[in-house]
Amino acid sequence: MRHFSKTITAAILLASMAFGFASCTASNASSGKVTVGITQEPGTFDPHTVVAAGDQEIIFNIYEGLMKYDSKGNLNPCLAKEYKINDSADEYTFTIRDKVKFHNGQDLTAADVVYSLQRAAGLLPGSDGTALIASFDKIKTVEVSNDDPNKVVVTLEQPDSELLSYFTVGIIPKDYENSDKSPCGTGPFKFESYSVSQNVTLSANKDYWGNKPQIDKVVFKICADMDAGLLELKSGTIDIFPHLTKDRADQLSPDAYNIMDNASNMVQIFALNNKAAPLDNPKVREAINYAISRDDIINVTMDGAGVALTTAMSPAMGKWYDKSLDGTYKKDLDKAKSLLAEAGYADGFDLKVTVPSSYLVHVNTAVELGSELSAIGIKLKIEQVDWATWLDEVYSKRNYESTVICLTSDYAPYDVLQRYSTDSKDNFINYSNAEVDELLKKIPLTPGEEDKLSLYHQILKIMTEDNASCYIQDPQEIVPVSTKLEGYNVYPMYVQDMSTVKFK
Amino acid sequence: MGRKTGFIISKILELLATLLVVSLLTFVAFSVIPGDTAQVILGPDASQAQLDALRSELGLDKPLIVQYLNWIAGLFTFNLGKSAAFGVPVSDLIAERLPVTIGMSIIALIFVIAVSYPLSVLSARRPGKVLDQVFSVTGHILFAIPPFVLSLISIIAASALFSGFRAGQYFSPDENFPGFIGCLILPSFCIALPKIAMTFKYMRSSIIEQNASEYVKNAKGHGLTDMRILMKHVLPNSNVSAITVISIVLSDILAGSLIVEQVFNLPGMGRLLLSGIARRDFPLLSGMVFYIAFITVLLYFAADVLGSIADPRIRLK
Repeated sequence: MRHFSKTITAAILLASMAFGFASCTASNASSGKVTVGITQEPGTFDPHTVVAAGDQEIIFNIYEGLMKYDSKGNLNPCLAKEYKINDSADEYTFTIRDKVKFHNGQDLTAADVVYSLQRAAGLLPGSDGTALIASFDKIKTVEVSNDDPNKVVVTLEQPDSELLSYFTVGIIPKDYENSDKSPCGTGPFKFESYSVSQNVTLSANKDYWGNKPQIDKVVFKICADMDAGLLELKSGTIDIFPHLTKDRADQLSPDAYNIMDNASNMVQIFALNNKAAPLDNPKVREAINYAISRDDIINVTMDGAGVALTTAMSPAMGKWYDKSLDGTYKKDLDKAKSLLAEAGYADGFDLKVTVPSSYLVHVNTAVELGSELSAIGIKLKIEQVDWATWLDEVYSKRNYESTVICLTSDYAPYDVLQRYSTDSKDNFINYSNAEVDELLKKIPLTPGEEDKLSLYHQILKIMTEDNASCYIQDPQEIVPVSTKLEGYNVYPMYVQDMSTVKFK
Repeated sequence: MGRKTGFIISKILELLATLLVVSLLTFVAFSVIPGDTAQVILGPDASQAQLDALRSELGLDKPLIVQYLNWIAGLFTFNLGKSAAFGVPVSDLIAERLPVTIGMSIIALIFVIAVSYPLSVLSARRPGKVLDQVFSVTGHILFAIPPFVLSLISIIAASALFSGFRAGQYFSPDENFPGFIGCLILPSFCIALPKIAMTFKYMRSSIIEQNASEYVKNAKGHGLTDMRILMKHVLPNSNVSAITVISIVLSDILAGSLIVEQVFNLPGMGRLLLSGIARRDFPLLSGMVFYIAFITVLLYFAADVLGSIADPRIRLK
């Protein structure tokens, strides 16, 4: 009898093991789904009208351009097999890669490339002529080459040696009109569905021309905010959550998540409106730069996860950044006070800082700035506004004294600095220096990289001498990634590349 | 008969007037706040050309008053318009969110009635005694805690107590209906708690008042059992005041769910409303405010009608 019951126990054990094994394999088969938490609602999926960084990081998986960035920030040919820029930098020639299919099954042809670039440059018949990608306004023609039906030639109105990075713009099928709602590209993932405020679902493109994706599905799950996302991370319903703050990432179990980080190539700026008194006085701006300790601010607001900045460009930009500017401002209260006195504000003054309330990091930075600046008599008054108000009043109308914000840009030095030309729409700090304007005009006309480098370094030097604003940090990009996954790369730009992600 | 029709017509006119005022208020509030839909959608780096193109595509280049009048005109054809930010009909967006908000309201209402009725009867049996005191004090405390604070506390408590509990988890009703109901229970409970306290307080005093009245003494004198008096006389009479309280409770539950679903990360009406505000999406916002106002007014309307059935004197007033 006892023997019999032992047999039963063994049988049950075996059965449960088999069952456990079966359920294991079952979960593996369905585990081809990776959930990425995002906190912003997608605006559009159209690669030519898309602007929001949050949209761009999703569609990176759907569309590809003639060129494509890798995770180190290098620009490589993609849908173009190779490219050539002529010596006078006014003609770009791309050779189109063959055996590439769109998600709708169509083959990629030179005609699709011509259509896409013409659409982005506002050159399609019936368009009003304004370029959707602003930098493309100098494109004169986009044509299939006469010698080779596989080559596309782009000619420019005026030379521009800085245009290559913009050819990362997505290529769509000729005459395809549904890109904003139902995107169709050549990328490693196909668009499947978008449910407002809930999620965007992509599925693997089985016909992808390059290395095929190793997961079946990616769900970009929209979380109300970072804390809602954190709750989901803790309960394991999200596998990857980009743009998390360090204090939140520290709350996660190391068994469940690996914390990955990288320089984000963003520039957090304490923007000083150069036209608002008393900030119009360069000495006042210099005093502010000497009155604060960037490291303290980084410790308080980012738990140390940031790189101190002294100028408008992050060291993450590599050679384009001017290393001689490192450590220009060491906190020096006596110097700051005497500069203020020279400017006629020995007793300090009241300064309003308008910050977007939805960005906690910027609000906290403003609070910390307030306590640092009080040492030289500057009383910071913090005004929190919502994002729409900030965009309207601060960024567009420039109706503010100071603000804290992160400037994002493509991984291209020109994109970082062009906002500081006097007449730029994005020059919301109202910086104006004729010499900088001249240099900015000169760069696209300069072909050689060495010459360009010195021009960029000159601009950074002049802006630092002018104390154009107070630059604080390049906040680190922190991404918890489920320990079940591997192959995720943190890009120094707004990209969530899911093509290399796989289950261990 | 004439009186009854007149009563209903005057209520309908009230409803229409309220809705018009609500939509006007939305319009005025919207026209004074800064911000622009196209700019929010495209972000700071958009070029002027992109902004202009999107504005004309969305019809934002027309003055707000024209947008408003167009919207009012659309109402006559039962068309709430198209969301500027999402490009889909507002009614679709609302319909997508409705299961969460309605589901939460219904579950919360069940909690309120199922808990507050028995407790108030128990409490009113011996007013001022220990049980009554305990219930009343607990009720006052619960009444004072806002639902979103309760939500935070309950998430922490549930995470600590039940290993299976997943904060922020949500199942759509089409995929997993039991799961959907399951993830609504805790938030509904958080909305219901203060309302239980409120309904309890009203019911309790109403029952005590009835118990003290002449007809109850009379019934007792005739030898009717306590149970019979309660079920046949006291409760039906207390229902009149209960209906009014519950209609208030229902609109509070609706408002509460808008906030609580934020804490629980549920894709309901509240989240949609907030994203409408953040994006300066006038059609979405006015459509939703209109819809919520409509439901609220409808609830009061229903309460009036129900009340008049429970107590014929109401119509005469």
